[in-house]
Amino acid sequence: MGVESVVVPEKAPARLVMQGISKSFGGVAALRDVDFVLRPGEIHGLVGENGAGKSTLMKIIAGVHTQYQGHMAIEGREVHFRSTRDALAAGIGMVHQELSIVPDLTVAENVYLGKQPTRGGVVDWRAMFAGAREHLASLGIDVDPRARMGSLAIGLQQLIELARVLFSGARIVILDEPTSALSPPEVHRLFEVLRGVRESGRSIVFISHFLDDILAISDTVTIFRNGRRIVTEAAAGIDKGWVIQRMIGRGHEDLEGSYTGDVTLHSKPAAPVVLALHGLGLRRAFADVSLEVRSGEVLGVYGFMGCGQIELARAMFGKVRPTEGRLEMEGKPLRLRNTAAARRAGVAFVPESRRSMLFYGEPIYKNMSISVLDRIGRLWLRPARERDIARRHAESLSIRPSRVETLLQSLSGGNQQKVALAKWLTWPPKVLVLSEPTRGMDVGAKEDVVRIIRGLREQGLGIVVMSTEPETVLSLADRIVVMRKGQIVREFAGEAVSKDRLLEAA
Amino acid sequence: MTTSSGVKAESQPGTKLGAFLRGQMRNIAPFVTLIVLLVFFGVASPSFATLDNAANILVQISVAGVIAVGLTFVILCAEIDLSVAAIANATGIVVAYFTLQESYVNIANVPLPAVAAIVLALLSCAFLGLVNAVGLTVIGIPSFIMTLAMMQIGAGICALLVRGQIAYAVPGFVAAMGAGSIGGIPWIIIVLAVFLVVGHVVLTYTRFGRYVYMVGGNREAAEYSGVNVKLVLGAVMVISAVCSGVAGMLGVAHFGSAQQNEFDGYLLDAIAAVVVGGTSLFGGRGGIGNTIIGLLILGVLNNGLDHVEIDSFLKILIRGLILLGALIINVYVQAVRENERTG
Repeated sequence: MGVESVVVPEKAPARLVMQGISKSFGGVAALRDVDFVLRPGEIHGLVGENGAGKSTLMKIIAGVHTQYQGHMAIEGREVHFRSTRDALAAGIGMVHQELSIVPDLTVAENVYLGKQPTRGGVVDWRAMFAGAREHLASLGIDVDPRARMGSLAIGLQQLIELARVLFSGARIVILDEPTSALSPPEVHRLFEVLRGVRESGRSIVFISHFLDDILAISDTVTIFRNGRRIVTEAAAGIDKGWVIQRMIGRGHEDLEGSYTGDVTLHSKPAAPVVLALHGLGLRRAFADVSLEVRSGEVLGVYGFMGCGQIELARAMFGKVRPTEGRLEMEGKPLRLRNTAAARRAGVAFVPESRRSMLFYGEPIYKNMSISVLDRIGRLWLRPARERDIARRHAESLSIRPSRVETLLQSLSGGNQQKVALAKWLTWPPKVLVLSEPTRGMDVGAKEDVVRIIRGLREQGLGIVVMSTEPETVLSLADRIVVMRKGQIVREFAGEAVSKDRLLEAA
Repeated sequence: MTTSSGVKAESQPGTKLGAFLRGQMRNIAPFVTLIVLLVFFGVASPSFATLDNAANILVQISVAGVIAVGLTFVILCAEIDLSVAAIANATGIVVAYFTLQESYVNIANVPLPAVAAIVLALLSCAFLGLVNAVGLTVIGIPSFIMTLAMMQIGAGICALLVRGQIAYAVPGFVAAMGAGSIGGIPWIIIVLAVFLVVGHVVLTYTRFGRYVYMVGGNREAAEYSGVNVKLVLGAVMVISAVCSGVAGMLGVAHFGSAQQNEFDGYLLDAIAAVVVGGTSLFGGRGGIGNTIIGLLILGVLNNGLDHVEIDSFLKILIRGLILLGALIINVYVQAVRENERTG
């Protein structure tokens, strides 16, 4: 793989130089011999799949990870941060995807957070409001500094957090997924502000999955894959396809099947629709989502973190009530007042976090029977029957250990996930919604789960698999919809699809 | 009846003895406490370890015991009910209000047939529990605050009905249950036993009981398993209020009078019995077995301290210290559990 020399638009001396950075977590390499150069007045885009190493590198810069190999220098001076405090003092600021604002305080208080101007020991409100207004105006942000932070749109909140970071003296600002929650006009305004910041000579690192945004704002783009810096290139000369190719790699160096080739989707357009969503919406999370879940088909829902799929799954299971639109089950309108109603209607759900699905202090059989207790016995418990059912599942899903009295907390992650699935299998539901069904599992457990899901599809269940990992969706789905910022932007059915086409659509 | 309705001993025979004992700490500690107290008072006072005194203790704990049965359901769900004593008091007064009083009792009461008076009293405590349930589940007021308000409402109902006076008469059936006895055994002990048995059976052998433990163990997981969590929480608030109401009627009959602030001490007694017995304040662990031990500890302590001629002011302090000790064990056991899970 060609690692060429760093190409930068102008020959300004570097503000930040990182050389030969390596970092591993418990024997797993997260970064391997990475070089990175950031110049004054540069917006530097970082791209790569989840786990490619870009966040790890940024956390080293921000002083979160203090153990690593390699050298880092700021303005020509060698540094090794011992804490985030060190990094702040050296002029490094970070704006996270989850904003760290205080919604109940005013805009001015947020800008001055922790260092309000005082006079005679009390907060000098007049000076604070005036100072905040001036500072925000200098960035081209027009907002009343007395407004309550929580009352502002998310895009404005983000700009104000950016303002605070700059105000605290940061010369290097790291933005993590800044556009994922923004509407197009908000993105436009953010870019205006960022260009102003660039004019003032400060440096910006822009991490994002949204390649269009990266290419629109960056001067330079660096691509990561598997903990390596693959290439750094001036943004002007490259396009989205070029970036995606290098992000996912065309070679054979990936350990797991990378699905870079085409996967043919075996969609079943003639299969009966079990669950239909018509124009479903939930405040800021998602809008106008229309979907059809078909019997005997696995529908994949792919999108980046924060695209609204997590909320969509919860709306389908009655955990949150959609604010618009309606659901239909086998042609009849379906109103879900709570999760119990969804269960009775034949909808099952396994959330992305096993912790919110399982009872760690209880034995396996109680974990499995909880969703079907009313079918085992109306009034009285029938523990013998519960154990029998659990034993059957433990055997057919090869859960280890197979003793159903074992407490759940002593099982491995993969086996816990199988228990979470087994909850719904005694009397199969009509629709099974799975969020990140294989995340964080080893290869063997992953294969088991894929086989179980395929088996359920053969039984005629309508299955929905939601994931932020393209591999998960590609390995399971017969039809794929792509979500982006709360909306469905693309559907792939009965055609060949590949990872790069998914990434391009998202 | 065992003290381990939540923790099934047979589920971990393979583990080492130490781990097993640690896991059973919440059951063992109260039991040891009870034995120590029994031995101590037995040695310290010749009048303590007698059959008569044992019966005394059981009678003394019975009103708090019936309240504690309902409260066990609530605490197992990781909620709290601070209105139990107020609801008990209000229900006791309601049943007296609808009973014909002696002419010298200056209350504008409405005499009704005994059955009607009892039914009305039960309906009123169930209704107050329902208000708690709606506040908690529909409106979303934390149970601590909701039942604090209900505590005041209950006191208000008492004040309005008796207006500072004292009523004495209750329906004959209630009087028999609270103050009568059969074959030398006070009815009030039998009523307590029935409530304890029914509570244990419901918690251990019914689907609802399982839901109570699961909702207390991991509320989010229960919801994602399709359990109607709000219905379960609402139900335990009503159960608690009805148990309190029954205890209130028994208490009024037992004391022979119905008046304001009559049950004030029972809030602490009932909560203490449940928690001292080892039911987790974080929900999901414990049960009626634990509550029985907790009740006996409190009963033995209160009664025993009378036998050893101790400064009655010191008595209050000792009760407080015992409660503190139980709370420390309760929280400590939970911390051990969390560590084992993550570690």
